[in-house]
Amino acid sequence: MSEFAGAGAEIGSFYPMPRPDASPPVEEHLPPREWLKKNLFSNVFNSALTVAAGLLIIVMLRGLLGFIFNPLRQWNATAVNLRLLMTHAYPADQYLRVWFSVAAFLILTGLSIAVWRAGSRVPVPDVGKRVTALGVFVTLSALLAPFSGSARLSWLAVAVFLLASGLSVSRTSKDRSVSSLSLLVGVCGLAALSLWVIPYGHHSFVSDRTPKILAEPGTVDLTTKLPWTIMLLIAVAAYGVGLLLRDRIPAKVARTSLVLAWILTPILLLFLVLRDPDFDMGHVLSTDIPIFLVFAVLGSALLFWLTNPETGEVGRIVAVTVLFLAFGSFLMPMRMVIRIFMLLLAIFSLAGPTFSGDRRTRHNYVAIWTGTAVFVSWLITAINTPSTAPVPGQFFLGGFSMTLMVAFFTLLVSFPLGVMLALARTSNMPIFRLLATWFIEFVRGVPLITILIFFSVMVPLFLPDGMDLSEVAAVTIGYALFASAYLAENVRGGIQSVTRGQHEAAEAVGMTTSQKTVFIVLPQALRVAIPPLVGQVIGTFKETSLLIIIGLFDLLFVAKAIIPNQTAFMGSTRENLMVISLIYWVISYSMSKASMRIEKRVGLGEQ
Amino acid sequence: MTDVTDVTETETGTDSGGAARSGRDLSSAKDMIVCEGVSKWYGDFQALEGVSATIKEQEVVVVLGPSGSGKSTWIRCINRLEEHQEGLIVVDGVELSNDLRNIEKVRSEVGMVFQQFNLFPHLKVRDNVSLAPIWVRKKSKAEAEEQAQALLELVGIPEQADKFPGQLSGGQQQRVAIARALAMEPKIMLFDEPTSALDPEMIKEVLDVMKNLALSGMTMMVVTHEMGFAKEVADRIIFMEEGQIVEVGTPEHFFTNPTEDRTKLFLSQILA
Repeated sequence: MSEFAGAGAEIGSFYPMPRPDASPPVEEHLPPREWLKKNLFSNVFNSALTVAAGLLIIVMLRGLLGFIFNPLRQWNATAVNLRLLMTHAYPADQYLRVWFSVAAFLILTGLSIAVWRAGSRVPVPDVGKRVTALGVFVTLSALLAPFSGSARLSWLAVAVFLLASGLSVSRTSKDRSVSSLSLLVGVCGLAALSLWVIPYGHHSFVSDRTPKILAEPGTVDLTTKLPWTIMLLIAVAAYGVGLLLRDRIPAKVARTSLVLAWILTPILLLFLVLRDPDFDMGHVLSTDIPIFLVFAVLGSALLFWLTNPETGEVGRIVAVTVLFLAFGSFLMPMRMVIRIFMLLLAIFSLAGPTFSGDRRTRHNYVAIWTGTAVFVSWLITAINTPSTAPVPGQFFLGGFSMTLMVAFFTLLVSFPLGVMLALARTSNMPIFRLLATWFIEFVRGVPLITILIFFSVMVPLFLPDGMDLSEVAAVTIGYALFASAYLAENVRGGIQSVTRGQHEAAEAVGMTTSQKTVFIVLPQALRVAIPPLVGQVIGTFKETSLLIIIGLFDLLFVAKAIIPNQTAFMGSTRENLMVISLIYWVISYSMSKASMRIEKRVGLGEQ
Repeated sequence: MTDVTDVTETETGTDSGGAARSGRDLSSAKDMIVCEGVSKWYGDFQALEGVSATIKEQEVVVVLGPSGSGKSTWIRCINRLEEHQEGLIVVDGVELSNDLRNIEKVRSEVGMVFQQFNLFPHLKVRDNVSLAPIWVRKKSKAEAEEQAQALLELVGIPEQADKFPGQLSGGQQQRVAIARALAMEPKIMLFDEPTSALDPEMIKEVLDVMKNLALSGMTMMVVTHEMGFAKEVADRIIFMEEGQIVEVGTPEHFFTNPTEDRTKLFLSQILA
């Protein structure tokens, strides 16, 4: 190496090496005029474009503000009907259940933010710049909007306040920073405070006998401002608890249980809290629990034996036998619960040899089976139990909650299904490949609306006697099948991006095909597929609005068909559509933001 | 492997000590790999034309040859990453056929190191090494991780266990790949051009690990272009061209006194 060291010194004299303590060159900070000249008016063409775009923005803003602040607009329509938009006809005296559900989600959000260490430090001057930009926007709006003189003045006063505070904050030292989370809480706190202080107007819908709408001056109703204030406090408290727990529980355990909670909570809330099932304890004790116990105990014993590495070939034969028994159970008259349990047990049995290992691994496997059995058993019982929530119409939820619910269940079903389809389509087995390809190509060739209508109208006709499927459930299944076909294609893209070398490396250490798929291929494939998958999640959420075509009472239906038909708000369609597009946008945009975070984070591990 | 000590301190001589190993008498050792008339076609192109060779236990065989000569194809046939169409391959008494159980058995006894490392990028280094022992060898997690740590120490990078492969240099990655293969406690190690994708200054660290492995008595089959390694470590050198074995011999014979014209031509190009 010595001769190379000499060569290095020689090169050093030709090309001066950077000093070890050299700091990177300071980023050039242009004054506003220079910046404008460099970026917006650098040449004639650029200047013309800037002017044209500026004019276009002003014209559009003027049109939009003219629409919003037109005295003919009935913004009351959404304010009064918020409950209708959110839950449709859910009984008002049961509203504690709704707030309980909102609180549950906020608790999960708070805990997740703490455990995943979301949020970042924002330099204080940057906050000032944002506030200044907002001030500029409000000034522009105040000048463009069709206000009366006094209204314009008060808006301008707000704008001046924003500009002044923004500019003063942006002058502060760059070293000071503030956490983005406390900013968020601050903004939400101010919003909650404004509910108590600012006279937005007192809107309520009184539905006793002759429905009438009250819109009086004053602050909003106590049934609005009190719960939202409590919700904010709950969210902050949950974050605090999350901070405390974060250092006491291993990160992996905390994250896994939170993900599980995010999946299970909506189901529990829907079937236990919101639906308030009227459990028939006699039936539960005499039928449901015994069936569960049989499968839990015998299944555990079977799986414990199957995951023993010494079981060998006999285990595979037994697993296949269970599968045939499960298929056979559909040919004989018996309870649907038993068939479902048989199928589940067959899947667990077939996967058993793949996950066989030492005693601890086997115990974990059996525990997962028991947990699944408890949950499935409870869910089936809850679904079959009539609801006590007295609601007119066919389904107890509507509006935004139905949109959320259908989107959630669609994703929950379509995700595993899509992954399985993708695996089948890329597998070496011709039958699986053929079936998956046919299914995907067929579903992708049929419009979503056709599938939704088919499932709402035709499927109930095909069901066997005694089996009843609500329209919402039927449509959700149809939508999930549709979504899974597209999801499968996205996942397939990911699977094909896993290099041949990865397959060979996994094979060379002796992994079986299923082990290779679970431990090597799928983790990498799903990571690659995150951007298209998030795009699809957002699409699925938004396209639930197609439910309006079948006449289900989702958010769009309430906004388009119900509120504009109230005598007080005849023809308020446009206002409602604007509000719900805002709701859709906020949710989709936050999902998009979250996915960017995830992408960044997974990218880190790979570098 | 007990006599493998600190890898990083071992010196790589270039031409000294070459004869020390080639003098070994392995004729009484057990046959580990037997190939008889192995042929393989890619479409119309014949990649292997009746390759026959026997590799003894503890023997280190280096396969040389120009690119496209079928070296990699042959070595990949031995653990069935490629399927041979004619002939017979027997690994430690198990014949490679279409029987899946035989293939799995052979693969868990034959470790392989690839040119492109092929580490699992989504797993930490420790998990890369311990994954297969846990799920294929059915070891407990604690035991497998302890073994992984010991192997990482053996290849000289115990401090990298909690990093992801992408954060390591090429040489470190290839050493992790060797540790991963060793974690399955194989009887045979196959190396498919293990240093060809490395920067020159990293080749030595990988060759050192391989040399120690050879000294510890591992049966090894190495496809490489590293003549120094071949001279020093190999018991036998197999020279291949156009899918055929052209010449077999000890390093001494091969580098000083080759009989075949094609070997001479190859050597003159390589050593020029």
